[in-house]
Amino acid sequence: MSASSAGRWWSLCALAVCAAVGSVAAVASADPPSDLPPPAKIRDLDYGDALFHFFQDDYFDALVRLEVAKGAGRLPDHAEDADLLAGGLYLSLGMHTEAARRFERLLARPVPQSVSDRAHFYLARIGFQRGYLDQAARSLGRIHGPLPGDLEPERQLLAANVLMAQGRYREAAASLEQWPQQGVWTHYARFNLGVALVRAGDAARGRQLLETVGTMDARTDEQSALRDRANLALGFALLQERQPEPAAVALGRVRLDGPFTNRALLGLGWAEADAARPERALVPWLELRNRSVVDAAVQESLLAVPFAYARLAANGQAAEHYRNAVAAYAAEARRVDESIAAIRGGGFLDAVLDAAPEGSNEPQSVGWLWQLQKAPDAPHTRYLYQLLASHEFQEGLKNYRDLRIMQRNLARWTGSLEAFDEMVVAREAVASMREPRKAAALAATDVDALEARRDELHARVELAASNRDIAALATPDEAAHWRKLEEVARRIDSLAPGAQRDAMAERARVLRGTLAWQLDAAYKLRMSRLRSALEETDVALAEARRRYALVEQAGELAPRNTEGFAARVRELERRMASLQPRIDATAAAQERLLAGIAIRELEAQKARLASYATQAQFALAALYDGAASGGAR
Amino acid sequence: MKPTRPRRLPHRGWQLIGASTLLLACAALLAMRADATESAGDLRTVDQDVQALKKELVDLNRDLFRLEEELLYPASTQVAVFLSLNVGTFFALDSVQLRLDGKEVTNYLYTQREVEALHRGGVQKLYLGNLKAGEHELVAVFTGKGPHDRDYRRGTTVKFDKAVGAKYVELRITDRDAALQPEFAVRQWE
Repeated sequence: MSASSAGRWWSLCALAVCAAVGSVAAVASADPPSDLPPPAKIRDLDYGDALFHFFQDDYFDALVRLEVAKGAGRLPDHAEDADLLAGGLYLSLGMHTEAARRFERLLARPVPQSVSDRAHFYLARIGFQRGYLDQAARSLGRIHGPLPGDLEPERQLLAANVLMAQGRYREAAASLEQWPQQGVWTHYARFNLGVALVRAGDAARGRQLLETVGTMDARTDEQSALRDRANLALGFALLQERQPEPAAVALGRVRLDGPFTNRALLGLGWAEADAARPERALVPWLELRNRSVVDAAVQESLLAVPFAYARLAANGQAAEHYRNAVAAYAAEARRVDESIAAIRGGGFLDAVLDAAPEGSNEPQSVGWLWQLQKAPDAPHTRYLYQLLASHEFQEGLKNYRDLRIMQRNLARWTGSLEAFDEMVVAREAVASMREPRKAAALAATDVDALEARRDELHARVELAASNRDIAALATPDEAAHWRKLEEVARRIDSLAPGAQRDAMAERARVLRGTLAWQLDAAYKLRMSRLRSALEETDVALAEARRRYALVEQAGELAPRNTEGFAARVRELERRMASLQPRIDATAAAQERLLAGIAIRELEAQKARLASYATQAQFALAALYDGAASGGAR
Repeated sequence: MKPTRPRRLPHRGWQLIGASTLLLACAALLAMRADATESAGDLRTVDQDVQALKKELVDLNRDLFRLEEELLYPASTQVAVFLSLNVGTFFALDSVQLRLDGKEVTNYLYTQREVEALHRGGVQKLYLGNLKAGEHELVAVFTGKGPHDRDYRRGTTVKFDKAVGAKYVELRITDRDAALQPEFAVRQWE
């Protein structure tokens, strides 16, 4: 390190670390949680209903619907898909422990390989996220076939990340080289590996990978941001190796309107200065001077500009810029104090969430998908861009936000539960009023007697049919005539034999024959009508029996059901009441912790500003000293 | 005045300032690392608490959801109408109107996000209500863009018997490739 640039190297180290930090976060942000492919055909509508919400990123609702359907036994044809989806949803909602439990439970039973492969993949991801690298590697090793869709490149990236986290860079590089894909996943992996290799001392290979990413054809904002990040990391790595020319080339590739522009401009100035071209170093540094002093790169440029002027022997301008820098650092330190006071005043996380971009606080964006897009410009957050962008802080912020959403969820259900309670009370009242009427109706209805009469009628009709008893189907008048003719015949038989009796017998026979002929002619139609009527009676009696049973059952079940509902409402009220204060306490604990971290970060920034101010004052004094010495001479 | 003298002074100053900054920064970094370790442990504890609370909330919502369904839509009278898409290249869905026994029960306007969810295999529970046992008539009117981006409005009618158990009716929009037209099918589930 040259004697002229010890301070600069601290700056370079700090910025190089900043450039490298978040490499894994970059991957995490590209990590699509909606990676469970739907089955080709939905065979359980309730599973499709959960997917409908899942595909809209409404993970909480999807999970609740899935659990309800599963509990009600309405997912017979998608049991494994549902378990896999539930595990993925728990993971998406940040519940790693429950997600791991679900996947392990799924793997404990015989499942198709495609299901077990996906479950192992998710377990590996959980292991990696929680720092259990050996466990993650074991789970990855248990995946037998290629995973469907985007999961396969993600698996390869995860495998490379695990190897990198284990310090096995060569193996990670070797696995990366075997990738057939050239998609965005490859670039993320190359970037991560490049940074890791540079940090591990294999700068040449690391630079090579970063160069590849830094010169890729970026088609989306995400790819452009990754390319900028690679160029920034590459530029600072080259600067550390005292290679200013290629460093300037890499830093020059960073877009002028991206999130890494300020750091790139600062580095570009250092590259020019290191190449003994201070006049050219002033170009990017003076550009930085016009930007917001909140940014660390801009703060450092306030020192860099007079440094360059001093190198150009423009001591008057250098002194003026040093004086401006001292004033700017003092102003910034006061604003940092305001920020610290604002955070100490409370409401820190609510202020962050309120200032977040519109739409990012929607309930459906609950869980790890949600990311704070940019640091809002508010007293609480002005100086916390790096901190807010850090994975750890965002996880804590998401937890806080999820807790707030949980509070709203409970508040919504509180109203519904009150309505349920009133409904149960009203039902009990109606049931108690209806009960005497029901009892009277049941008592007045004797379905058994009606069925016995029906059976007797059936027997009579069948007997008549088997004997072809035409008289049995006679009308009441015909039956009376039939009986009278039988009586007449008996009386004629009791008369003394003779011509008169024979004549009377003949007349009675003719009359009876005529009536028998009439009955016989009508028999078929009458028998058919009778059978139809009996069938209708059967149907009507069956309906009467069913309704009687329903009324009887309703009488028995209604009070028990309302009592059951009332008990469930009370139990749910108890659980809600128990949950509410614990959510409040955890939200407060989360806020205290993150506010503490933020205040420490701000105090560190204040210390840095004070250090910069000291450097500026010292340099100013040295300039005056030089001028005085020169003047004396 | 020679230019070398004043130029050397800032260099030396920069070197000293740099060294002091480095020391300050190292000390600050060490202090922050100790704090960070402590904070990370606390954050993990809070994270565990949050995970446990979330699980309780999921279970609570599940039980509340179930109570609501059983109380408001008991199986003996429950009828649910679902909507699904199969391919759907000949029809871009805008809205659906449902009439049950001549009475309008739903008039649903779709967002792009919902249509995409349907295309990806989601099935929307469009209507949940109660009906007595017996025969009923469901009329669904679909509105959207048909082939050649023309306004398209089609209705489909189904008569169904509601028995003692819950009744599911699925409205399915499919493609009729031969006629290059959408098709609106109805499937009944018990």
